[in-house]
Amino acid sequence: MAGRRVALKAIDWVAFAERVPANQKAMFNALKTRSDAISAKLSSLPEAPAAIDWNFYKTTVANRAMVDDFEKKFKALQVPQPTDTQTSTINAEEAEANKGAAAYIEASNARIAHYEKELDKLKNMIPFEQMTVEEFNDYFPETKLDMVKYPYWPHKPITEL
Amino acid sequence: GLVQASRGLHTSSQCLAPMPPMPEHGGKVRHGIFPEELFQLLYPKTGVTECSNITFSLFYMLGTGLLVYLLSKEIYVINHETYAGLAMLSVIVYGVKKFGPQVAAYADQLNDEKLAKAQVVKDLTLNSMTESIENEKKEQWRTEGRSLLFDAKRNNVAMLLETNYRERLHMVTNEVKRRLDYHVALQNLKRRMEQEHMINWVEMSVVSTISPQPEKESITKCISDLKALAKTSQAKATV
Repeated sequence: MAGRRVALKAIDWVAFAERVPANQKAMFNALKTRSDAISAKLSSLPEAPAAIDWNFYKTTVANRAMVDDFEKKFKALQVPQPTDTQTSTINAEEAEANKGAAAYIEASNARIAHYEKELDKLKNMIPFEQMTVEEFNDYFPETKLDMVKYPYWPHKPITEL
Repeated sequence: GLVQASRGLHTSSQCLAPMPPMPEHGGKVRHGIFPEELFQLLYPKTGVTECSNITFSLFYMLGTGLLVYLLSKEIYVINHETYAGLAMLSVIVYGVKKFGPQVAAYADQLNDEKLAKAQVVKDLTLNSMTESIENEKKEQWRTEGRSLLFDAKRNNVAMLLETNYRERLHMVTNEVKRRLDYHVALQNLKRRMEQEHMINWVEMSVVSTISPQPEKESITKCISDLKALAKTSQAKATV
C-alpha cells in the first residue's frame, strides 16, 4: 500500500531566477508560486495514513465476523497509483525546446562571428590621419558620396550638409 | 588599401603592396621657392660644411651671375610690369608671412574636427560590437537554464500525483474507520437505551406496588423525622 516514488529532483531556484530574462519574470513568479503551493500541500499530508486498531474493534463490535471481513478486505486492497498523463507531453516539449535552443545558439554564434570580424576590421584599421578618402569610404560605406544620383557638388542633399 | 587588394594576382601593372602613409609636410624649400635638393646636389663634390661662408656657395654664385647676366644683356627687360609685379609679390609675401600660421591653424582645426568625429563614430561602433558580443554570450548562457524549467514542471506533476495518491490512501482508511466507528456507536447507543428502559421499568413496578395507605403512613413518619431533625439543627445553630 505504501508505494513511494522518489522522483523529485532538487531545483536550484536561485540559479533559475538568474537566467530568466526581464520580460518573462511574471511567468517565472507564477510558476514558482504554483510549485511552492503544490509542495506545501504535499508536505502537509502525512506519508501513510493512521493505522486502524483492529483489536479494539474486534473486542468492541458484536459482529466479529464483519470486522474480520473488513480487515481482510482492507489489507488486500491495493490503491492504484494515479496515471501520469503529462510527463510525456513535457518531455516532448523539452525536446522541442532543445532543438529551438540549439538553432538559436547557432544563429547567435553566427552573429558573434560576424561581430568579431567587424571588430577585427575596426581594430586593425590604419589611423585616420593616414587614410585617403577612398579608404575611408571603404571602411565606412555610409560616407561614400553618390556621384550618380547627385552629380553636382556637394553630392548629397543640401539638408544633409 | 582595400581597393587594391581586390585585384587579381599579376594581372595588372599596379603594385599590390599597401600604400605608404602620406607625408605630413611637403618637401623642404629655401627662400620659399627653391627646393632643398637642388642645394644638396653637389655638396659631396664641393665639400661644403654647414658653417662655410654662404657667399662661396656654388648655387648662390650661379644665381647671382644668372640674374646679372639677364639684366645687363636686357634679356629680361625692366618695364612698368616689373614694378607692378614686385609690389604685388611683396604684398603677397607680407600677407602670407603674417597670416599664414593663423590660416594654417584654422585649417588644421577643421581637419581635426573631422578626424575627431570619425574617431567618435569608430569608438561607438567598437563599443556597440563588444556589447553585442557580450549580449549574445549572455543569451546563450540563459538558454542553458531551459532544462530547469522542464525539471520544475516534471516535479510539479510528480508532486501532484503523489498528493493524489496519498489522498486516496487516506480516504480509504477514513471510510473504513467511519463504518467501524458507526457500528461501535450503534452498539453503545443500544446498550444505553436498554439500561434506561430497564431502570424506568423497575421504577414503575416498584411505585405501583406501594398502596396508598402505607404511602400516607410513610409520609407522616417522614414529616415527624424532619421536625426532629429541624429541632436538633436549630439547637445546634443556637449553640
